[in-house]
Amino acid sequence: MLSFVFRRLAVAIPTLLILVILSFVLMYSAPGGPFNSERPLPPEVLANIEAKYGLDQPFWKQIVNYVIGVVTQFDFGPSFQYKDRSVNDVIAQGFPVTLTYGFWSFVVAVSVGVSLGVAAAIKQNTWLDYLAVGVSIGAQVLPNFVMAPILLLVFTLWLGWLPGGGWEGGQWNYLIMPVIALSTSYMASIARITRSSMLEVLNTNFIRTARAKGLPMRRVIWRHAMKPAILPVLSYLGPAFVGMITGSVIIDVFFSTGGIGQFFVNSAFNRDYSVIMGITILVGALTILFNLLVDILYAWIDPKIRY
Amino acid sequence: MSLLDIEDLRVTFATADGDVNAVNGVSFSIDKGETLAIVGESGSGKSQTAFAAMGLLAKNGRAAGVARFDGQDLLSLSQGQLNKIRSKDMAMIFQDPMTSLNPYLRVSEQMAEVLMLHQGISKSAAVTEAVRMLDAVRIPDARARVTMYPHEFSGGMRQRIMIAMSLLCQPRLLIADEPTTALDVTVQAQIMQVLSDIRNDFGTAIILITHDLGIVAGFCDRTLVMYGGQIMEEGPTHDIFASPEHPYTSGLLKAVPRLDREDATLATIAGEPPDMSSLPPGCPFSPRCGQLLDNCEAERPALQAAGDRRRACHLSVQEVA
Repeated sequence: MLSFVFRRLAVAIPTLLILVILSFVLMYSAPGGPFNSERPLPPEVLANIEAKYGLDQPFWKQIVNYVIGVVTQFDFGPSFQYKDRSVNDVIAQGFPVTLTYGFWSFVVAVSVGVSLGVAAAIKQNTWLDYLAVGVSIGAQVLPNFVMAPILLLVFTLWLGWLPGGGWEGGQWNYLIMPVIALSTSYMASIARITRSSMLEVLNTNFIRTARAKGLPMRRVIWRHAMKPAILPVLSYLGPAFVGMITGSVIIDVFFSTGGIGQFFVNSAFNRDYSVIMGITILVGALTILFNLLVDILYAWIDPKIRY
Repeated sequence: MSLLDIEDLRVTFATADGDVNAVNGVSFSIDKGETLAIVGESGSGKSQTAFAAMGLLAKNGRAAGVARFDGQDLLSLSQGQLNKIRSKDMAMIFQDPMTSLNPYLRVSEQMAEVLMLHQGISKSAAVTEAVRMLDAVRIPDARARVTMYPHEFSGGMRQRIMIAMSLLCQPRLLIADEPTTALDVTVQAQIMQVLSDIRNDFGTAIILITHDLGIVAGFCDRTLVMYGGQIMEEGPTHDIFASPEHPYTSGLLKAVPRLDREDATLATIAGEPPDMSSLPPGCPFSPRCGQLLDNCEAERPALQAAGDRRRACHLSVQEVA
C-alpha cells in the first residue's frame, strides 16, 4: 500500500511537469503580453520591464528558470499585474477563501446528496423517492451560474436577509449563498449516483442474507449496504472536489468572495502569466492528490482491492 | 403440534405483464427434527414458498394464506417481529454461496453480529462461538481464518460458513434452498454430510429445497413434489422413490441419469415448464402429461391423503406408469 502511494506520487511529478510545459507553451503562443495596453509603452520602457521579468530571454530559458524556481524555492514568481506581490501572495490570499467555501460546499453536497439518495432507494417508488428524484433533477439543471443570480435576487434584493457579496473572514451569512450555489448541482449528482447504486446493492444476495439473519433494516443499510453503495459515489468525489474549487470562478464573480477563481479569471484577461501558471499547477496538484485519496479510500473499503 | 404449518399458501408477483402466480395453494407441515425435501424443477414455486415463510419475498411479491411457526402466523407478523424469529428460531441458507456472504465484511463480523443481535453477548464471546461453529462444519484452521474476507474462501467453504452462520443460534428449523446447486459434485457430498451431521447433533428440522433427486434419497424423511406452484405428491421419501403415484414424479425419476444401465438417450419429460402467469384451469401438469384423462385439462385434481401419502391426480394409483 505504501509503495503504491509512493509510486503514484512519483508519477505525479512528470504529470505536473507536462502540465507546466503545456500551459507555458499555450500562454507563450497566444498573441499579446502582460504589458501591452491600449496606450503603447515607449519601446525602451517596455524593453526595461521585459528584462526585469526575464521576458527578453529565449523561451526554453524562461521555462527552465520557472521550473527551477518552483521546484527549488517553491517560488511561483512575481505577479506581472499586481505590483509588489508574488504569485505566492496571491494564492495565500485567495486560496483559503476558496478552500473554506469549497470545503463547506463539499460537506453539504455529500451529506445531503448521500442521505437523499439513500432515502430515495429505501423508499423506492414512494412519494419520498419521487420527491428526492425530482429535487435532484431540478438541482441538476440549475448550474451555479444560474443558481447564483437567483439566490442574489431572492435573498438579497427581495428578502434582504443576506449580504449580496463580500467575504468578511468567512462569516456564516457571507458563506451561505456561495455554498448553496456551488453545492447544489454536485449534491444532485451525488444523490442520483447514491440512489441507483444503493438500489443495485439492495437487490444482491448478501443483503438477502443479512435480512434472513434478522438484522433490523437500519443495520442492513448502514452495515451491509453502505460500503458497496458508496464506492461509485467515491470515484465521483475526487473530481467533484477539485471541480468545486475551480468552479468557484463563478462564485467569486457573483459574490465578490475574493477566492482564487477571481484571480484566475483576471490573470487570464491580463496575461498575468505567473498567476495563471501558479493556479494551474495548484489545481493540477489538487486533482492528482484527490484522485490518489480516492484510490486509497477504495482499497480501505473494498478488501478485494489490493495495490 | 408441528413446527411449521403451511396452509393454502399463495404467492403472487405483480409485474408489468400482469400477476404471476408462483405458489398456488400449498399446504404442508414439518415436525421438530424432521427432514423434508421439496422437489421440483425451476419455477415450480419451491423457493418462493420458503421465501414467503421467511418474509423475504421480492418487493413486488405478496403472500396469502397461513404459515404458522410455533403457533404464530409468520405472514401476519411485522418485519420487526419477524426479525426476532429469523436466524434465531428459523434460519435459511441460499443457493449461491459465492454471492450470499457480504464481500465487504470479515467472516467474524458477519457471524458475530447474529449472536450479538439475538443473544446480546459481547463481540469477543460471539467470535469464540463463531469459531466453534466453523469447527463444527469442519473449516480447517477456523480460529485463524475467521477474520478473513469471503473472497479468500472457496465456494464449498463459503457454503459451510453460511451453514455455520445459520446455526449459531441453534434454530429449530433450517431452510436450505438448493444448498449444493452451485457446487461441484465432491463438494456437494461434503455439504450434505455437514447438513446430516448438524441434524444429528443439534436435532434441527431441515427443509431441503432441491431439484436434485439424488441428494434427497439418502437424506430426507419425507418428500414433497411441486409443479406449477402446487403440490403434486407427498410421502415418505422411500415410498415416493419406490412407487411414485403421480405421472410427474414418475417422469422425474425416469429422468435421473443412471450409470448402471446402457441407455442410448436420457429420458426427459416432453414440453416446457408452465407459464406461471396463465396456468391451465385443470392440472398444471396436464399439457405435458403422457397419461391424460378427459377431465385433466378442465378440472384441477384435489390433493387427497391416503395413509401417510398425499397426491393430486385424477388417475388411480394403479394406473400411474
